[in-house]
Amino acid sequence: MKVLKVPARTIAVFVLPCLLLYVCLVFIPILVSLYTGLLKWDGLTTAQFVGFGNFKDMFFNDPVFWPSVRRTLLYAVASMLEIPLCLGMAILLNRYVRRGNTLVSIYFTPVILSVVIIGQLWKTVYNPASMGGMLNGVLISLGLDSWTHNWLTEPKIAMFALYFVSLWQFFGYHLLIQYTGVQNIPDELYEAAKIDGADGFKADRYITLPLIVPIFKISIVLAFIGSLQAFDLVMVMTAGGPAHATDVISTHMYNSSFMSLKYGYGSAIASFLVIVCLVFTGFINTLFNRIERKFN
Amino acid sequence: MVNRKMKTTFTVALTAAMALSVAACGNSNDNSKNNAASSAAPDKTNSGTATNTTKSDKKVTITFQNIYPDPTTPSYKMVHELSEQYEKEHPNVKIELDTLNTDQQKVKLKTQAASKEVPDITIVNPAAQMKPFVDAGLFAPLNDMLDKNGLKDTYQTGLLDYYSFDGNVYALPDGNNIEVVYYNKDLFAQAGIANTPTTFEEMLKDVKILKDKGITPLAIGEKDSWTGSFLFMNILLRTNGGPGFLQDVMDGKKTFEDPAFVEAVDAFQQLVQAGAFPDGATSIDANAGGNIFKSGKAAMWVIGSWETGAVDASSVAGKVGAFQFPTVNGKGDPNEFMLAPGSAFAVSANSEHLQETKDFLNFFASNLPKKQFELKNAVGLGQKVDGDLKAAGYSDLAITIAGLFNQVKGGDLSFDNTMNPATSQVHLSSIQNLFVQKMDSAAVAKEHQTAFEANK
Repeated sequence: MKVLKVPARTIAVFVLPCLLLYVCLVFIPILVSLYTGLLKWDGLTTAQFVGFGNFKDMFFNDPVFWPSVRRTLLYAVASMLEIPLCLGMAILLNRYVRRGNTLVSIYFTPVILSVVIIGQLWKTVYNPASMGGMLNGVLISLGLDSWTHNWLTEPKIAMFALYFVSLWQFFGYHLLIQYTGVQNIPDELYEAAKIDGADGFKADRYITLPLIVPIFKISIVLAFIGSLQAFDLVMVMTAGGPAHATDVISTHMYNSSFMSLKYGYGSAIASFLVIVCLVFTGFINTLFNRIERKFN
Repeated sequence: MVNRKMKTTFTVALTAAMALSVAACGNSNDNSKNNAASSAAPDKTNSGTATNTTKSDKKVTITFQNIYPDPTTPSYKMVHELSEQYEKEHPNVKIELDTLNTDQQKVKLKTQAASKEVPDITIVNPAAQMKPFVDAGLFAPLNDMLDKNGLKDTYQTGLLDYYSFDGNVYALPDGNNIEVVYYNKDLFAQAGIANTPTTFEEMLKDVKILKDKGITPLAIGEKDSWTGSFLFMNILLRTNGGPGFLQDVMDGKKTFEDPAFVEAVDAFQQLVQAGAFPDGATSIDANAGGNIFKSGKAAMWVIGSWETGAVDASSVAGKVGAFQFPTVNGKGDPNEFMLAPGSAFAVSANSEHLQETKDFLNFFASNLPKKQFELKNAVGLGQKVDGDLKAAGYSDLAITIAGLFNQVKGGDLSFDNTMNPATSQVHLSSIQNLFVQKMDSAAVAKEHQTAFEANK
């Protein structure tokens, strides 16, 4: 790779404006939010400084908080689990389907649709049979009446119904990333492998997997961090209900801030979320650095 | 060397340009602020000297946040027709309607309030719900405007108290309602129920009969959790033997673990267990919940009398009657109602066109009763209306409900109009929870008490 010899000042000219914007729009609000988390404040009247009182309440006295953290983490893990599946499918598409691009574009469609539309769509799919819900309708017509559920309103099931929609929505997204990655592996490598007698799965094991690791990592980080911040889909479909059964960290933050008018408390939750995101990004990065080193 | 020098100059020039443009941005911002300030200043003096001459040539846009999203309802027509009429009479004024449904509006207003950008006119709920906004100084007092054109005298005695703090009125209500049980006479006849229930036990029996006939007994949209709470509070009003339970809790005379509260939770659960509500009620919002009744698919609907006009405008018009919420376990007086002083119009204290906004609201509130009367939506108005309902061709339902108003012997405000927002939120989701799982009523009571003590 050629490295351009440019004086630092020139680089600064091009980098500074963006850096400035980034600091103003991302970094400062995070700091403000961290500070607001130390206040007892309804967002309207005068605030009162309470130190780490909000955090103490959050960790020890809030019956909704830890379950919402658990759901969020499960969300993140669930979203990662589909990526190996996407990779497998990308490999198969690349090998056996002549015009894989078209298929991938079709899978990609849900990503382009607005989450509100997807939410409404799946709400009607999940509706009780008495309201014309498609899923229950299909189950009944198959004679599986006992399998029908109020998918979005039974506390034990609702969250999984949401996970599924999210997986469905982003399947095409990760497939596209993986497929592009697989396509970019040069054919010569496979040809050489074939001559050496490594075909099919063996070639995948020794060529595709090591070369796809960086792409795989991108997918994993995007899926994980994206799910930690999951908000829109939950808001559209259940708004965290029934009775907090589908609350994730972000909806709990929103409800605390704007419904319960505990703006300071909501900011404390937001700070927690930022820290969790940073910790996990760091964790995934180190993990993958190790894997990459192993393969090299 | 030359090249290097060129580069340096270029860099410096670019940096300078950038710095300038940033400064320019700052400047122009300052300018616009100054302009706003200087244009606002003479406004105030103007309004002081020439109160009624609003027909200046200055173009003014008034943002009017409202909660009437359904075009089939009379309230929607009322807002649109009055705004258009005002625009016609005042060519310089544009009324921009920001129409949302109730829960959305509540959230939007709170986000706007947090950044002090309240729309010129917005909607608030009475008492406890509007108090934080008033404390934050976001609303303009409307006393002077109320005294103009005799607007104040059009309101029912005492109604404006729910919207007054420290002797100032901060909002004008759109109505003054009571909670009633609407019922579909056809569906009752189909199920062979001759009389409307007067006790909770009868109501439960009717629920079971209706359920067996495949009719949804009670319509509700519990995704907006206030709907369930409103119904629940009616039961509490009975088991408590009268109004004032929440006030007693706040005064420290009672706790949520009082037997009356526990009994109300149990009664409410009986209703849920009997299958009174539609499947998946917690995924249906309030509008859609009402449509279950208005499209003739549910037999009863426990909701505020503000829906009378909308019911009359729907496909079940003429088939609907109304009755008082029954007694529970022999307790309570059916003539005590859940009271719902309406959602109200408030004016932003920071409005850029405060005087114009107040003038418009004065016109709007003065003409609201007449317009609602024309649109056959005058039942439950907070203002006095001239005119005979019967002669004006109002439905039997409207006349029944107007009759119920005459029997009101007092009652309670809704939970979230009485308690602080944080406790209310715990209550709302606690009641929502009863729709999806059976709970130990003592645990529900404890949950309430814990939240109340934590957020006092």
